[in-house]
Amino acid sequence: MLKPSTLAMILAGGRVDELGVLTHYRPKSAVPFGGFARVIDFPLTNLMRSGIELIAILSQYRSYSLINHIGTGAAWDMIGRHRGISILPPFKDYHNPHWYRGSADAVYQNLDFVKYHNPSEILVLSGDHIYQMDYRKMVRYHNEVGADLTAAFVQVKSDKAHRFGIGEITEGNEQGGRLLSYEEKPDTPKCNWASLTILCFRPEVLYEILAINQHNTSYEFGRDIIPLMMKRNYKVHGYKYHDYWGYTRTVEEYWQTSMDLLGPNPKINLEKWGIRSNLEHRGIRDCQPLLIGPNGEVDNSMAYNGCVIEGTVRNSILFPGVKVEKNAIVEDSVLFFNNVVKKDARLHKIVSDVNTTFGKGSRVGCLEESTSNERDITVIGWNNIIPDGLVIEGGCTVHPNIEPSLWPAQGLKQGEVLQ
Amino acid sequence: MRYASKALVLLLAGGIGSRLNILVGHRAKPAVPFGGIYRIIDFSLSNVMNSGLTKVGVLTQYKPLSLMRHIGTGEAWDFTGRTRGVKILPPRTGEKDSDWYKGTADAIRQNIDFIKANPSQQVVILSGDHIYRMDLDDMISYHRQKKADVTIGMMKVPMEKIHEFGTGIVDNDNRIIDWEEKPKEPKTDLASMGIYVFDTQYLLNSLAKDKKEIDFGMHIIPRALAEDRVYAYPFEGYWRDVGTIQSYWDTNMDAIRPDSDLSTEQWGIRPNPDADGLTMDRPPARLASGCHVNSSMISAGCIIEGTVINSVLSPGVHVHKGAIIKDSVIFADSVIEEDAVVDLVICDKQVRVGQKAIIGHGGNKDTVNRLYPTHLYTGITLIGKKAEVAPGISIGRNCIIHTNTTSADYADKKTIEDGETL
Repeated sequence: MLKPSTLAMILAGGRVDELGVLTHYRPKSAVPFGGFARVIDFPLTNLMRSGIELIAILSQYRSYSLINHIGTGAAWDMIGRHRGISILPPFKDYHNPHWYRGSADAVYQNLDFVKYHNPSEILVLSGDHIYQMDYRKMVRYHNEVGADLTAAFVQVKSDKAHRFGIGEITEGNEQGGRLLSYEEKPDTPKCNWASLTILCFRPEVLYEILAINQHNTSYEFGRDIIPLMMKRNYKVHGYKYHDYWGYTRTVEEYWQTSMDLLGPNPKINLEKWGIRSNLEHRGIRDCQPLLIGPNGEVDNSMAYNGCVIEGTVRNSILFPGVKVEKNAIVEDSVLFFNNVVKKDARLHKIVSDVNTTFGKGSRVGCLEESTSNERDITVIGWNNIIPDGLVIEGGCTVHPNIEPSLWPAQGLKQGEVLQ
Repeated sequence: MRYASKALVLLLAGGIGSRLNILVGHRAKPAVPFGGIYRIIDFSLSNVMNSGLTKVGVLTQYKPLSLMRHIGTGEAWDFTGRTRGVKILPPRTGEKDSDWYKGTADAIRQNIDFIKANPSQQVVILSGDHIYRMDLDDMISYHRQKKADVTIGMMKVPMEKIHEFGTGIVDNDNRIIDWEEKPKEPKTDLASMGIYVFDTQYLLNSLAKDKKEIDFGMHIIPRALAEDRVYAYPFEGYWRDVGTIQSYWDTNMDAIRPDSDLSTEQWGIRPNPDADGLTMDRPPARLASGCHVNSSMISAGCIIEGTVINSVLSPGVHVHKGAIIKDSVIFADSVIEEDAVVDLVICDKQVRVGQKAIIGHGGNKDTVNRLYPTHLYTGITLIGKKAEVAPGISIGRNCIIHTNTTSADYADKKTIEDGETL
């Protein structure tokens, strides 16, 4: 097997409205996660560990950050004679004047790329989930049962099932089974096996079904392709995945999945996973080790190289270059690259995008522990300078790049939005 | 306008650095880890990169493998490209000159073909074993301004240390008019940092004169002084020779002292993240609930469940619950198990300190190491690479536990006394 037989295509084009200000300037897949990495590093690392070395990334929304992050692909060892990551942006040509009109349309528009590589299997992945998986096992299962499509499913809480693509899988086989039914975001889910958007296709079938789907007006794998294949009685299998799956579609989920990295037995063990990221991106390779000052206090937290902690940090995740000055307190928060928390500032339960400075004595986030609920997360967009002493309560949203004159002197009350 | 692009760099990285004892047992001194994620040579290589120099030869001799792996393609310091590059220059046999490097000048002389193959106006000669930041471009431009044949980087050092250095007396124009190598009765406090800029043609002529001249400080410079234009380039700022265990430890501590001038990140010092062990492809340091960390530098991939005070930890160090690390330097992937105490210790890579072991026991720092009294005399204990420290054992001050020691090697010993070696 000199040439790779599996082609992986990562759907990384979308932005998700619910992530709000975190995706104003970047696609979902490029959102920072895990204290130094990006969400897409999880599928990329999985692919690397699975020995799948031919990868295409379908990008559309604000792709610069993503392209920058992928770089040459060397971070994941994806450069070599038969190894590589190709970024496939939308394009115009003689036949086609469209943007990517959906995930399935994005793949359809790049079928010449796909066919050129002549793969034995095509693995379509979503670029925005946090999980570890050896795709080889799934590809093996797919080939053993001779499926046209094998889709991975994971069990979710029943009350959340209506938000996912739900598949009924034939009982009997531990690994998986023939899919009996599939419904995208059903009002009354028949079970709680949710699609991970990890789809292994037999290439000829994918070509066929994408062509049929072109007559439709919607072009999504979950909403259109899987139901279409079910309807036409293709051999669709469900593959059962049992490990941790982190979902980051909303700010609350993003925050919760981040918190899953902490605690005495983290649900996501990054040390064991060996997650890789591109250290060139934002120059994090130039950071010195984490420096904790004489008065620094850190508890149940993660911090990457380049952070300087002079104050107190609890239950939080700090990305490279975060500075926490003396007497500042950061709790239950995720601070992206190069945030600065000035003296006496206090942050609680916030997610703050890159390059934001919290002025001296400012109070940001829900400060009353007792009233805190999961809706109370405050999100700060990037490149903001929060004035000294300003109070921003819980559940607030601050858009990126707020002009200094626009900050209201009375601060932001619970749930307010500043833009 | 940069001048550096027309200069060639030769980095002397062959030194044994034997006073660093077991830290150089399996690696050359420039390859000794420093400051958590760096190796000593990163400072010289980064200075070269930040000065805009793009062609480098690294002269190796002693245990070069670890150094060669670390340098790799040179990509980490931006030395890859069509007209850029870093070459390893080990001693070799040939038609003539088939010998080990006998001294600094001899090493350069044996690589005259490399100098000729990379035409340059100046040759910059550096050593790879100091901790400092310096703009070599400025030094080269100074050298040209002075129309010097040789320019030597020099700095003032305390009088009591001057006997370790080559020293020079300068006139008002910084021209060196007198030179003494390691003087017993020094006449000046101006010391050579072992950093030279030579006009290339001058260097070639000078080296061709007498092959018995094997050392710059002892032979080449004194003669040049008498005949040619030799200038001092005054350097002010942070510069440390980390050639002894004490200075190595002390300089590491400077990385965490708030009032020290050493700041690797501000200086633009780059490690090689692709080297062995992928120092940076590790998750952020995880500081668990109940840990205590003060005045310390913690690299990515560390897990801290115990206490770390005033210490520098390389990537992947795991400090278990109840363990205490104080005033120590711990290299990559060492594990300190429950309730162990590590006090004033330099621990090489992949060391395992067993539960309840104590390293650095007692307050007696005056019993020097019996085998190496000149290496260990300030209380620091050394633990070699991959050594195991048996659970419950008590190890004193100024001790050495050798590389690859296993629990069985302790036999029935419950203690290793101050100054002993295992």
